[in-house]
Amino acid sequence: MTSPEGLRLEEATKVFFPRTPNEVTALDSVNLVVSAEDFITIIGSNGAGKSTLLNTISGTFLPDDGHVWLAGEDITANPEYVRARAIGRVFQDPRAGTAPSMTIEENMAMALLRCKPRRLRRGVTKRRRNLISEQLAPLEMGLEKRLNTEVSKLSGGQRQALSLLMATVAEPKLLLLDEHTAALDPKVAETIMNLTGAIVQDKNLTTLMVTHNMELALRWGNRLLMMHKGKIVLDVEREEKDTLTVPDLVQKFHDVAGESLAVDRMLLD
Amino acid sequence: MEALIVHAMEQGLLYCFMVLGVYITFRVLDFPDLTVDGSLPLGAAVTAAMATGGHSVYLATAAGMGAGLVAGLFTGLLHLLLKMGQADATNYGPKLLSGILMMTALYTVNLRVMGRSNIPLLSIDTMFDRMGQAISVTMTGWRLVAALLVFMLIIKFILDWFLHTEMGLALRATGNNEQMIRSLGVNTDKLRVLGLALSNGLVALTGSIVAQQQGFADIGMGIGTIVAGLAGVIIGEVVFGMRSIGWVLFSVVGGSITYRLLIALSLRMGIQPTDVKLLTALLVVVALASPAVRKKVVNA
Repeated sequence: MTSPEGLRLEEATKVFFPRTPNEVTALDSVNLVVSAEDFITIIGSNGAGKSTLLNTISGTFLPDDGHVWLAGEDITANPEYVRARAIGRVFQDPRAGTAPSMTIEENMAMALLRCKPRRLRRGVTKRRRNLISEQLAPLEMGLEKRLNTEVSKLSGGQRQALSLLMATVAEPKLLLLDEHTAALDPKVAETIMNLTGAIVQDKNLTTLMVTHNMELALRWGNRLLMMHKGKIVLDVEREEKDTLTVPDLVQKFHDVAGESLAVDRMLLD
Repeated sequence: MEALIVHAMEQGLLYCFMVLGVYITFRVLDFPDLTVDGSLPLGAAVTAAMATGGHSVYLATAAGMGAGLVAGLFTGLLHLLLKMGQADATNYGPKLLSGILMMTALYTVNLRVMGRSNIPLLSIDTMFDRMGQAISVTMTGWRLVAALLVFMLIIKFILDWFLHTEMGLALRATGNNEQMIRSLGVNTDKLRVLGLALSNGLVALTGSIVAQQQGFADIGMGIGTIVAGLAGVIIGEVVFGMRSIGWVLFSVVGGSITYRLLIALSLRMGIQPTDVKLLTALLVVVALASPAVRKKVVNA
């Protein structure tokens, strides 16, 4: 059984500070095939290359070597704003995904226009306002009644919920989550994670979620990747993933890394 | 006293388009653009050269504004060249440098356009004179203020409308959270160039109508434009508030008028005209630094 291909990386390589004493190979000839229905969780210690992987996919920077395909198209040379038409992304910092001095409805209107040219006509139309209210209501945060509130007045959880909605409302092909619940308190993080699961399922999004939290990585998604020193060192799917436990993962990590780690940060986050 | 108020209103409304331009770069785009010191006299130079060359004053004014648009465009392109792929929105180095370079380059351009350092325009009817003639009124005092008010309302209305269009929202987001709006598929480089062109167009328009009203274009008339613009923006925000974009645009116009009133009052109190720029600079320093200083004092 083969499912349609979502994302493919071929020999993707990224070296920071080349030819200096600080040279770091953040991505080391990574090959990865992601099917369209995959929800992948990615773990690894600091500096393992998780964020570099996401940045290479999103086009924040170009890889030094290798190729990136999305839905069968080679997007390696496309600048970030071109790729962004098919890729939604949520960052760890709740401030990163929204424009603070603009209102909730203005932010949402900009997100609705993903993929579309920005014309000289009203941004927040009546029709769009209704649509925005409809989209905000299921969050149960009362945001649909505060459409004209500046986003800077919202709490971190509210801003992250809005960021998530903005990243997905125009139904991109791919959703990239970069530790998007790590900066929130546990209860809010739980809410945002449940919301994420619901949206991914509802809209059938191919999803890559980077996390430091092994328990989260096991509980969510159908596939788990572990990265170390710029390489994917573990790739488990479905049944095999379901039987894994946090101690298993720690053990696997010791096996592949071959060195003792500061596991506490990974466990406690 | 009435004369003083009329004069301040007149000056404030003449210069409010420049302050609106500075608002667009400094606040909306988060781009402290120093080009304005050169694009204000550019507008004046082009208008003066064309009006004395026998062209219609309307055409001369439009051309002055158009020259400012082009100057802003060049600042934007220069910025792209200088930042060379760095996406860091908070990197002000290339922004300041591109403005400084354009300001300096424009000095030569302005001299070339004028052919000398000063062109008198006293023998030429201003744009507002012409409008007055059309309805048989002489444009002086309160009547000129009223005409400028109408002109200001038209420009303010267009700006307000633009900043709420799809493109306008993306422009505001470019200055507010560039990474975010890029991730929504917007080419922020293009929008920044557009914003800079729009801003410098307004500044050059100011230069053009100021030259007409004061009766000459002068190579030195742009000195301190950025600081005066900042003063107008900051006074406006502090005195009249910033509830929404539509409101802030009015606040900024109010700031421009208040600033000119403050100058008129200090001149009446015996301060030398040559000291005004130092006072303005101090005013901007105090206004910009006071929130940070207050924070420090409260935290200490």
